[in-house]
Amino acid sequence: MKNLILLAATLLTATAFAEDMIPLKTDLPNPLMVGTPVPISIPKLEAKIKKFPDFQVPAGTVNLAKGKKVSSSDNDPVIGSLDLITDGDKEGDEGSWVELGSGKQWVQIDLANAATISAIVVWHYHSQERVYRDVVVQISDDPKFEKDVTTIYDNSSAGKDLPYIESYLGKLIDAKGAKGRYVRLSSAGNTTNKLNHYIEVEVFGKPAA
Amino acid sequence: MHTDESVNAYLTGNLLAGETYKYDPQDKHGPVLFLLAKPIAQLGGAKNFSDLTETQLRLTPVLVGSAMILLFGCAVEIFGFIACLTAALLFAIAPLPVYYSRYFIHETLFVAATFGLILSGWQTLKNNSLWFAALTGLCAALLLACKETAAIHFFALACGAFAAWFTTARKYFPAPKIIATSLMVFIATTILLFTWFGQNFGALADLFHAIPRVVARAGGEGHAKPFFYYFELLDPLFILSFLAAAGIYTAICDTVSGARKAALPLMIYAVAVALIYSAIPYKTPWLTLNLWLPFTLLCGLGVSAIVSAFNNKAGRWGAGIVGIFLLATLGAQTQELVFQKPADEKNLLAYAHTTPDILNLPAKLEEICRARKIVQPRIAVVMKDAWPLPWYLRKFSRVGFWPPGLETGDADFFITTTDAPTNLTARLENFRPEFFGVRPNVLLILWTPRPADKLP
Repeated sequence: MKNLILLAATLLTATAFAEDMIPLKTDLPNPLMVGTPVPISIPKLEAKIKKFPDFQVPAGTVNLAKGKKVSSSDNDPVIGSLDLITDGDKEGDEGSWVELGSGKQWVQIDLANAATISAIVVWHYHSQERVYRDVVVQISDDPKFEKDVTTIYDNSSAGKDLPYIESYLGKLIDAKGAKGRYVRLSSAGNTTNKLNHYIEVEVFGKPAA
Repeated sequence: MHTDESVNAYLTGNLLAGETYKYDPQDKHGPVLFLLAKPIAQLGGAKNFSDLTETQLRLTPVLVGSAMILLFGCAVEIFGFIACLTAALLFAIAPLPVYYSRYFIHETLFVAATFGLILSGWQTLKNNSLWFAALTGLCAALLLACKETAAIHFFALACGAFAAWFTTARKYFPAPKIIATSLMVFIATTILLFTWFGQNFGALADLFHAIPRVVARAGGEGHAKPFFYYFELLDPLFILSFLAAAGIYTAICDTVSGARKAALPLMIYAVAVALIYSAIPYKTPWLTLNLWLPFTLLCGLGVSAIVSAFNNKAGRWGAGIVGIFLLATLGAQTQELVFQKPADEKNLLAYAHTTPDILNLPAKLEEICRARKIVQPRIAVVMKDAWPLPWYLRKFSRVGFWPPGLETGDADFFITTTDAPTNLTARLENFRPEFFGVRPNVLLILWTPRPADKLP
C-alpha cells in the first residue's frame, strides 16, 4: 500500500513537471511534381513520404527561424538571396529558392537567442525528384561551430541517417531538445547537379529558460 | 551519354567484338551509323564495348557533320554562292546542328544523306547522267539505312521534284535507263547494308516489320509535343524566320521569272517536311535537324535576295555588319548550349539527357572497391529499363542485369530504381542506399554493404 502511494505521488509529480505536448504543424507549399508517386517497397529506405509526419512538440513551440538572419559559406549565391531561407515562402518556383555554389556549402541561421529546439524542417528543392548529398544539421552556441556542436542529422558517409528524396513535404528532423543559438545546415550538391539549394528552413523551439 | 547513344555504343561494341550486325526493327534504326562508327573506333584502338570512349564514338557524327558543311560547296551551282555560304555558316555555327553533330545517333548522318540525295538527284535530272543516277540511288539507300523515316523525305522530295517538273513545261523527265540505274543501285545497296553484306537476309523482312512499329511510335509514346514545337527550336530568337520568309518570297519570284529553277522544289520540300514532321505527335529535338537543312537554304536564298537589293557599297556594308552580328549571336548561343551547359535541364537541346551525376556512380564503385579491396566486384542491376547503365558500368567485368522480381544471386553491390522490388528487401538489410541521378526526375540507388560500425 505504501509503495502504491509512492508510485502515485511520483506519477503526479512527473505529470506536473512534464510539458504539454502538441502536434507540430506547418503550412505546406503546393506540390509541383506531377505524375503518380512511386511506392517504396523497401521499408528501411527513407526515400519518399506521403504525408507530413506526426510529431509532438512542447506547447508554445514556434518557428524561431522566421525572418532571422542567415549567413552562408557562399555569400554570393548563384541565384536568389539568403533571406529567402527564412522568409516563410516554401513554394518550389523560381524566386522562392536560393542557389549556392558547387561542392559542400552551408547556411547558418542565427536565432538571436539561445533556444531549446524540438524540430527542424528543411525544404531544399521540390519541383523535381532529387536527393541532396551529405546533408548535415548541427546546433551550437558557437557561431563558428568549433565547440559544443550537437549534430542532429547526418546522412553523409560519416553519419547513420539515410538519404531521402526531396518533396513538398520537406524533411522533418528531430532535434531532441538540443540547445543552441545557431543552426547550421550543410549539403554537397545533389543528384541533378553539383549545386546546393534552399527554399526554407523552419526551426521549431522555445527560447531557452 | 544520352540513353540512345549508349544503346548505339553497345551495338558498336558488339561489332568490334566480332559479332554480326543484325537489324532490329524495334527503334534501333539502320546500319549506316555502325558501319561508319566501327572503323573509326578501331582506328582509335577500341576492340570491344568496354574499350570505347565518348570521343571515339562521337567522332563519327562530328566527321559527317563537318563533311556536310563542305557539301554546300557542291550546291553553289544550284542555289547560288551566297545562299550556300549562308546555309553552310548556319550549319557550322548555330547550336542545333553543332549540338547534334556530336551526338552518337543517326540524325546527322541522315541529314547528310538527304543533302546528298538532293544534290545528286538534281544533277541526275539536269544532266541525264548515269553516274549521278547511281549516286542518287546510293544516297537514297544510305538515307533508308540510316532511319526508316526516310520514307517521309522520299515523299517530300517527290513533291518538290513534281513541282519542278510541272513548272518547267514538263520538259525534264529522266530517261528509263536513268530511273532503272537509280532503282537498281538503291535496291542493291539497301540489301547489302541491311543484310550486313549478305549475312542476314531476314533483315529484309524485318524492314517491313518496322512499318507498324514506326507508325505506332509516330503516335507519341510519351514524346508527343505541340504542332509548333520544331519552330521554337529552329529559331528561338525569331530572327532566322525573317530570312526564311524572304527566301520563300525569292523562291516564288524565281519561279515566276524562271531565274533559279531549284528554288521552288526546295520551298515545296521545306514546307512538306515541316508540315509532316509537325503533324506527327512524336517529336524529339534532334528531329528538328530534318527541317534545318531546307530552312537554312531558304535563309540563304533570303540573304542572297537582300544582298542583291543593296546595290550600293554602304548598304552592303550594313547588311554585312548585321550578318556578322547575327552569326556572333548564334555563336554565343552555341558556346552556352553546346559547350558550357550541354546537359543542363534548361537546355532545350538536352532532351531527357543523362544527368552528369551518373558519372559519380562508377567513380563511387571504384572508390569503395579500392577501400575494401574488392578486385572484381559483382554488381547486380535490378531494373526494368537499365539504359544507359551498361555504358557507365562497361569497365566492370562482372555486371548482371535483371528485371525486377527475378533472383539475382549474390552480389557485392546492387543497383535498383527507387521502386526496388520487394524480393530484395531481406538481402538489402545491411546495405546503405545512395542515390544517383540518371535523367531529370529519374533516380537510381546504389546499395553498398554497410561497414560494421554503421550497422543499425
